[in-house]
Formats: sequence, C-alpha cells, structure tokens
Amino acid sequence: MKSTSNQNCGKCGLCLSVCPVYKVLNQEHDSPRARLQLIKYHKNQELLSSAGLKEIISKCLMCGNCTAICPSGVDHYSQFMEMRTKMREDIGEKQAIKSLTYLLAKEYRLKLATGFAKFGQKIIPENFIKKYNLGNIPLKRFPRLNKKPFRQAVPETILPDKNIKGIVLYFTGCSTNYAFDQTGFSTVKILKQMGYKVIIPEKQTCCGIPMLYHGARDKAKKNILTNIDCLGKIEGLNNDDVKAIIVDCPTCGTALKNEYPGLLKTFGQDDSAAREISSKVIDIMSFVLQESWQMELSGSSEPIESDKIKVTYHLPCHLKNSMKAPHNTEKVLNSIDWIEYTRAVDVDECCGGGGTFFYEYPEISKKIVDKKIVNAKNTGAHIWLTDCPVCRINLSGNLQEKDNIIVKHPVEVICNYQPENNNGSDKV
Amino acid sequence: MISSEIRDQLRAILGKDRLLEKPEELACYSYDAYFEESMPELVLLPVSTEEVSRIMKISSTHGIPVTARGAGTSVCGASIPAKHGIVLCFSKMNKIMETNTPDRYVIVQPGVVNADLQKALEPFNFFYPPDPGSMAISTIGGNVAQNAGGPRCLKYGVTADYILGMEVVLSSGKTIRFGSRNVKDVTGYRLSGLFCGSEGTLGIITEIILRVVPMPETIKTILVTFDNLDNTARSVSDIIGSGILPAALELLDKMTTNAIEDSAHLGLPIEAEGSLLIEIDGVKEACEKEMNAIIEKVRANGATSIQEAKSESERENLWLARRSAYGVFAKLAPDIFSEDITVPASKTPLMIKTIVDITQRYGLKVGVLAHAGDGNMHPMIPADKNNKEEWARIEKAFDEIVEAAAQMNGTLSGEHGIGLAKTKFLPLVMNEDSIEFMSVIKKAVDPDGILNPGKFV
Repeated sequence: MKSTSNQNCGKCGLCLSVCPVYKVLNQEHDSPRARLQLIKYHKNQELLSSAGLKEIISKCLMCGNCTAICPSGVDHYSQFMEMRTKMREDIGEKQAIKSLTYLLAKEYRLKLATGFAKFGQKIIPENFIKKYNLGNIPLKRFPRLNKKPFRQAVPETILPDKNIKGIVLYFTGCSTNYAFDQTGFSTVKILKQMGYKVIIPEKQTCCGIPMLYHGARDKAKKNILTNIDCLGKIEGLNNDDVKAIIVDCPTCGTALKNEYPGLLKTFGQDDSAAREISSKVIDIMSFVLQESWQMELSGSSEPIESDKIKVTYHLPCHLKNSMKAPHNTEKVLNSIDWIEYTRAVDVDECCGGGGTFFYEYPEISKKIVDKKIVNAKNTGAHIWLTDCPVCRINLSGNLQEKDNIIVKHPVEVICNYQPENNNGSDKV
Repeated sequence: MISSEIRDQLRAILGKDRLLEKPEELACYSYDAYFEESMPELVLLPVSTEEVSRIMKISSTHGIPVTARGAGTSVCGASIPAKHGIVLCFSKMNKIMETNTPDRYVIVQPGVVNADLQKALEPFNFFYPPDPGSMAISTIGGNVAQNAGGPRCLKYGVTADYILGMEVVLSSGKTIRFGSRNVKDVTGYRLSGLFCGSEGTLGIITEIILRVVPMPETIKTILVTFDNLDNTARSVSDIIGSGILPAALELLDKMTTNAIEDSAHLGLPIEAEGSLLIEIDGVKEACEKEMNAIIEKVRANGATSIQEAKSESERENLWLARRSAYGVFAKLAPDIFSEDITVPASKTPLMIKTIVDITQRYGLKVGVLAHAGDGNMHPMIPADKNNKEEWARIEKAFDEIVEAAAQMNGTLSGEHGIGLAKTKFLPLVMNEDSIEFMSVIKKAVDPDGILNPGKFV
C-alpha cells in the first residue's frame, strides 16, 4: 500500500456526476477523476504512454463540466490538453485526425479542401452519399458548404446604416466562413443595426482549438500568433477604439478568451496583446443582451399567438463553462415577444458532439445526442437553436428526416423578424 | 497472482469489455476519496446477481480477495483494494427495479446513484431521506455498505433505518435474501443490520429494498451567524435539548465559511465566527411554530444575524455551500485529514471546544464543520502528507480528539466508516470480547477472508 499526495484533486468524485461520458458508460476509467489520476501516475512515471492510455485521455468531450463543478478548483481542462499533446507525441494520431489538424493549420489548404469537398458533393454518386456515415451522421445531413467563403463574400469593413455608435471586430471562425454563412450574415446585420462599424480582419484564421484538442500545439502556434496579430492591432485604430471582439462560436471564443494568454506564456512570449484581446471577447448573443438590441424588434402591437415562432435551445458546453455565459441566449429569446421559447429539460446538457468526438466515439455520442433530440422534440418547437457549430452539426446530423425540427444559430432567427415569412433570409 | 486460466473463466462470464486488466485501467480503481491507494489485479463490472454469484464461486475457490466498489467516494478507504485481487465495481448495475410509492418502497440495484433515486421519486412527491455529502454520485450499494448518513438524518435517521430487505451474495457464491417489502417484519434475525455498515467484509450486496417517505409540505431554511463559536455550539444543544427536531442542523466555523466563500462566491457571512444552517420541514403551521422557537433560542445565545432562504434557489445555494466544504478544503493543501467522531448532542459545545484546543496546541489550522444536531463532527485539517513533521502532529492531535470523543460517550465514526482509517481506535469504544465477536461473525460468513481484506475486521 502506498500513499500519495493528490495535488489538488481531493478525489471526491463530484466530477463524475456531471461528466456526459461517465453518465453513458458508468465506468470510473472514463471519468475526469480517473484522467487526473492517470496524468499524475504518468508524470511520476508509474504509468507509461500506451495506446490504451491515449484512448482514455481522448475519450472526453472537453466540455469543461468537471472543471466548472470542481470544488477544489482543479483545472482539468488544461491538464487534459497538455496530456493530449504528450499522447500525440508518444503514440501518434489517427490519419483522419492528422488530416484535419493539417487542414486547419493552414487556411489555404482548408480552402483547397473545401473546393474539393464541394466538387465532391456534386460528383459523389447519390447512392454513396445516402449510405455513407461519418460517425453517426449520414453524409447527406452534413451542412452544404458555402458557395463562397463568408469572409470573401463580405467586405473587410462594413459600415452601419445610421450613425456609427462604435467599432467592433468580428472573428468568424471556420464554420461560419466555410459552412454556415447565414450565421455570419445575420451577425453582421445585427451589429449594423445596432450602429456598429464591423471590421472582419482579413488575416484571421482557425482559432487553433481543434489542433490543441488533438495535442498538436506546434501546429496551432502559428494560427494563434496570426490571430493575435490581426485582432490585436488594426491599422489606424487604438485599442480603446475597439468596443468588443465578437465571436459567433463559443469554442473560438474559448480559445481567444481563455486559452491564448496562457498559451503565449508557454510559448515564452509576451502575453499582453493576448490579454487585451481576451478582455474584449464576447459571444454575439451576450452582446445582443448587453446592448438590449431586441427592443427595436418588438412591434407596437401584441403579436398573434399563431404567428409566434416556436423555438427551443441547446446550451453549448463552451458557452456555459468556458465563456461563462450560460443564461444570455435564453434571456434574449425570452425577451422577444414574437418568439415562443420553450426550455428543454436538458437544455444545458452536453450534446455529445465535442469537436471530433462524435466521429471518434460514435456509440457514446449517439446515446448522448438521442436523449437530447427526444427532449427537444417534446417542447413542440420547430426550430432548435444553438450557438455552437459543432453542436449544430451534431444535433442536426442526428435528426431523422421525419423530425419536424431544424437547427439554427440564434442570430439567424432573431435578426429575421418578418411576420409574413418567418423563415426568410436576407443578406447584408 | 490471478492466473490466465482464472482470467479466462471470468472473461467467459463478463465478456471482454467488463473485465479490465490493463495497467491504465486498473490504476483507475486503486483509489477512492481517502488518501491511500492500492492497485487491484483485476477489475470486474458485473450487471447481474447471477454474474456476481459466479464470480464469487471462482474467487472463493482460488482465495482471491474481492473488494466491492460503488462510485469510489468513501472517505475512509473502504473501497480501496488493500490486499489487491479483484475490484468488483457496481457502477453498471444501476437499475431501479421497482418504484412503489403506495406501499412506500423501492427496489434498487446497488449501483443506483443516490441522486438518481431522488430524481426518480420526485414525480411521486416522495424521497429517500439519507443524503450523504456525496449523494450526487455515490451509490445506494455504497451507502448501504457504509451505513451512510447526511444532514437530514438528524430527523429522519440513517441508511440502516431505511432498509426493508436485501439480496446478498456470500463469499461462497450463494445468494441469500432477507427482509421483505414490509416495514414491520420480525421474521428471523434482522440481517440488514448486519450487512448494512459491514463495508463489504461480510457479503456482496446485489439488491436492496428501501423504505421511502412522502415529501414534507413545507421546508424552511435559515442561516444564523454568531460572533463566538461557543455560542454557536450552545445554540445547537439548546435547540435539540428543548425538544425541537430540525431536519438538519449544520455548524460551520469561520475558517470553513471563508474557504467555501473563497471558492464558490455565494455571499456567505465571512466575518462570523460560527454559522448554523438550520432546516425544518413538515406541515406549514408546525414549521412556523418551530422556527419561532428556534429563533428564540439562537437569539438568546447572541445570534448576530438570521437570514431566511426566500426561494428554492436561495435554499439550494445554502446547501451548495455546505456540500462543497470537503472539496473546498482539498483546494487548500494537497491532502485533507478529515474526522467523523460523534458525541451525544448535549456534548457538542464541549467537543467543539476540545477540538479547537487540541489542534491549537499542536499548531494546526482546523476547519470545524459538523452535523451538529446529532453531534457528528467533521473537523478538517488541510495538510501535506509529504510534510512528515506536520503529519505526525496531525496524527497525534487526532488521536487525542478521538480519545476525547470516546470519553464523552461518543463514537469513532458517525457516517464515514472505519475502513483503512480507524481500525486502531476500535478498542477505545469496544471491549476485546466485542471485537472478537465481530471476528467470529466474519469467520463464519467469510471463512477464507476474501471479502475486502485488510479492513477493520
């Protein structure tokens, strides 16, 4: 028998109660507490790197629920990320994941690949698309790629229709740029209506989180430095001129707000620009709430019950745990009188998407997401809102054709009030 | 060493996914919430009584130690496989077999999480009273094996008071059932009292019939502060002594309140030397009357503030504060030395004073936390086990605290159990013949000593 100091994990086990993976598998070795213990043993060289160890470390959604509930203040999140880097170095990576991190590390490669992918969406035989799944998600339920990357479809600087109230930067993330341009157009429309001059720095690139989660810190570094460079100083502007840095994806937000300053330190570089950026990052729905923008939307007369848009919501883990904005989107939805918002009983539970988790561990992911779908449908809503593109792909991808519900980013609904045509979309 | 033939036999029962033998998997079952660790040779995750029975037949044939584990939240090391062998983990055997509120019972498998049972009972407006601090994740099997308590056990009684019947697999692999679905049942020995609290040393619990009770109509919760810890403790014995029976009566000293507030930012009164979290439940009119009587008592003892939870979320907040105490202390240092001695309620003020005196004498920082209404103390000392000199002082201080409790007609453990932590103290509260009697039972039931060996018996 040996006794060991447990650093700061009191091993109380509270994290097990909120871990989506533990809740499905019900086995200690797939729990946050176990991962912390294994990391400790590995550090003390009582346990060597192995494929099995890498598997345990990887079988995690990085949702951050454990960190949020931990009474001892353990930062599971950073420890897991660090360990993922070690495991990638020691054990290597699956080819599919390697390709992904390779693509995301260089935007031009991603552009090239989406070109091929788009090409692919046309030439792959229909029956192949029908049959083939990525994880649990049939290929045909993946989002169609944007006709043109969002950032090429809009100018770098966009002026509001009325007087300029201030300046905001908009970090679009890869998903908006390549797959969900409607999120981008809606975000810009809202910011313009608020009276903001929107700058979408051209040089911005993938935030780096997908690489970091797969332990490819070296590959992420260049992206991180590029983003800090282009968000940190805009020509002809002082730092004080920029009111906020808007993100539409909570995971990009997590990177900019929580990860960059610490990472710069580990790179041995000055973190002051990263901290400045971090202090300004806000997700679009929180910004909407902060600016009370929805007030302008409400009509003068009471909307007719049948005209109301019935929506429900899924709270992304990174918005809840990392951006620490768990209630803002719901507050906005509740404040708009032409929206009938019904809360799903498990609104704040993880959807099982977790970056590429849905692809790597489809069976676990399926169990998590199917429960979410049942509860969302029980609300009677026709639109299921969520701020995170991976949640969106995962939720939407796991829906069946017969399910009478579609998944959208909240901005796409709130910016689109047209009583006669609720689903209409228009561009900036 | 467990041979490959035995492993194959076990694999045939469980399949490859529920038999773990890789080092990185085994390491995850070497610990619980106590601060020692010991590696198992094999981890098995059964899903049925039949599997457990077949596993036990093989284990007893070959004399392999078997340690049962629920969620691994024991704070006395009860689920640590001290003599290695097999860890039998029940986290996958977690079905609620029957919910019968008209007859006021439920039948559960041992891996059902306490909080999940509560959730399942909510729609029926019923609940299961034992509420250990770990209830969000700890299992009913573990709660039963440890005879778990919790704050509201002051009024409602502990786990043992809620067991109507059980199914247990013996070390031989034989399956026995006793008790029934009836509250009144004097058919034979009350064996649930033997297995409840046996810490997995007598048999493997595979099914439990539990009594459940209707939710009270009204719950009132207050937080009272004092500028003096003695007054805080005296209020407790005054309230209990006057015949009022709160559902919970929790005491927190200044260090505990501050540690929680630093971590959770709940707006707790950080200047107060002592705080009491008091909850009463029942019929509205009775609650009001009792609450007035309690307020009178705490005022007479110089309460400096009384804050009533005005909503369910405010009440949740107060309890969240109380429940996070153990984890919060883990933040202060690498290890926590926590205690669980219990004294008659009238001795609460004296015991608290004694704890403070002893720890001061040894130059230790202590957080005093107590289910004060039933005299169940949880003094906690944040420490670093690698600091040998400090650790030796802590051990001495705790020896004295336990001895003091015994002298006050108290006992070693109110709700955590003996496990690896407290075997040496048994002679303080049990004479030689009594300890020997436990060995007689152990030998009769588990002749080869394969069930959770290395623990108190």
